[in-house]
Amino acid sequence: MSKNDSKSVSQKMNELSELVAWFESDEFELELAIEKYKVAEQLAGEIGKDLSELKNEITVLKTKFDA
Amino acid sequence: MQRNMTEHVHEVPLFGVSDYIAVLNQTLEYTYPSVEIEGEVASFKVNQGKWVFFDLKDADGSLGCFMSLFNLRVPIEDGMKVVVRATPKVTAWGKFSLTVQSIRPSGEGSLKKSFELLKAKLDKEGLFAPERKRTLPEIPAHIAVISSTQAAGYADFVKILNERWGGLKVDVAHVQVQGEGAPEQIIRAIKYFNGQEVLPEVLVIIRGGGSVDDLAAFNDEPLVREIAVSRIPTLVGVGHEVDVSLADMAADVRAATPSNAAQIVVPDRKEFAGSLRFLVQRILARMSGLIDERAKEAQDALRHAWTLLDARAELLLSQLVTNRQVLSAYDPRAVLARGYAIVRGEATVGSSITVEQHKRTITAEVTNVEER
Repeated sequence: MSKNDSKSVSQKMNELSELVAWFESDEFELELAIEKYKVAEQLAGEIGKDLSELKNEITVLKTKFDA
Repeated sequence: MQRNMTEHVHEVPLFGVSDYIAVLNQTLEYTYPSVEIEGEVASFKVNQGKWVFFDLKDADGSLGCFMSLFNLRVPIEDGMKVVVRATPKVTAWGKFSLTVQSIRPSGEGSLKKSFELLKAKLDKEGLFAPERKRTLPEIPAHIAVISSTQAAGYADFVKILNERWGGLKVDVAHVQVQGEGAPEQIIRAIKYFNGQEVLPEVLVIIRGGGSVDDLAAFNDEPLVREIAVSRIPTLVGVGHEVDVSLADMAADVRAATPSNAAQIVVPDRKEFAGSLRFLVQRILARMSGLIDERAKEAQDALRHAWTLLDARAELLLSQLVTNRQVLSAYDPRAVLARGYAIVRGEATVGSSITVEQHKRTITAEVTNVEER
């Protein structure tokens, strides 16, 4: 079980965006890059899988707006 | 005969003036609790910023109308054809009038005129200004939808939404989207969502296609204002591509149709997965590029080191050659080669001495020593 399983798609997306930003920033260090790339690749795979499986949760409110 | 006439006179009711007016009003209220009347507006005026008076007329008649400004939800002016919903009433001064609860333009010309008047008014106030528009979140996690859940437009929206994206929390307020009560219901729903402790990220207001009259609710002034002041960014998709409502114009983002609203509010999951792959490839390309860059830097550094080393070695070699030349100049063998000799031994008569030449050594005896 991946440690990312409990995270939402948005959280994973944020993490991925941060990783991409790191790769494109001056903070980039080759020594850390391979590990971070592996994490990014895993996140991208999980997000794709989540998107194909997740259903929307649609709730019609019981509140009446006619009065 | 006389007796019958007297009896008849006694059957005619007798009223005081106020009582009779009250009875008339009761009868009117019982017979026509509410009535809709179509006619043309004349002598329209607003008094004290609160009360609206006008006449409703056709070719053969005219009725005085009264209403509060609060109930006037669309701009009206003389000459416009309208339908009023009103209660007939006789005033304390015996004047018949209609107390109007609502008024709506009737006929394409009046609807268009009313639309243009309100559009100009709200535009002047800046409600449609591009700088007021907010962008919608790229990937929302929680949205609110205001629509009639029985409408085809809503079904289209949900279908496209589910096809495109997943994991979204969607709260739906079921409201009337056409007719007199529609604007007020939509306003209540907007207020409801804006009053939530945790606000949805987008407020979607949708309604499928219909006649100009059907869509008139979305040109209601209080509704347009409510959309404009919503704390939640708004996305409005009403009618078809060609239908433009004032609600559309006040929204942060306009969708051409409810289906288009679904396309705008969430990305397509397949396209999104593709863009993720592209993103990861971009990281990989960036990493490869940087590795190549570092390797080139290392090669350049090595090449530079070799160049320095070569130069140093050349210098040393050159110095070695010079030193060798100097050394060879001092080499006694070189002197011998030029014909000189080294003589060793005691310079006394009868002593044995050795004479070393370039290619031989001679042993000799001293036969004479002469001082100079």
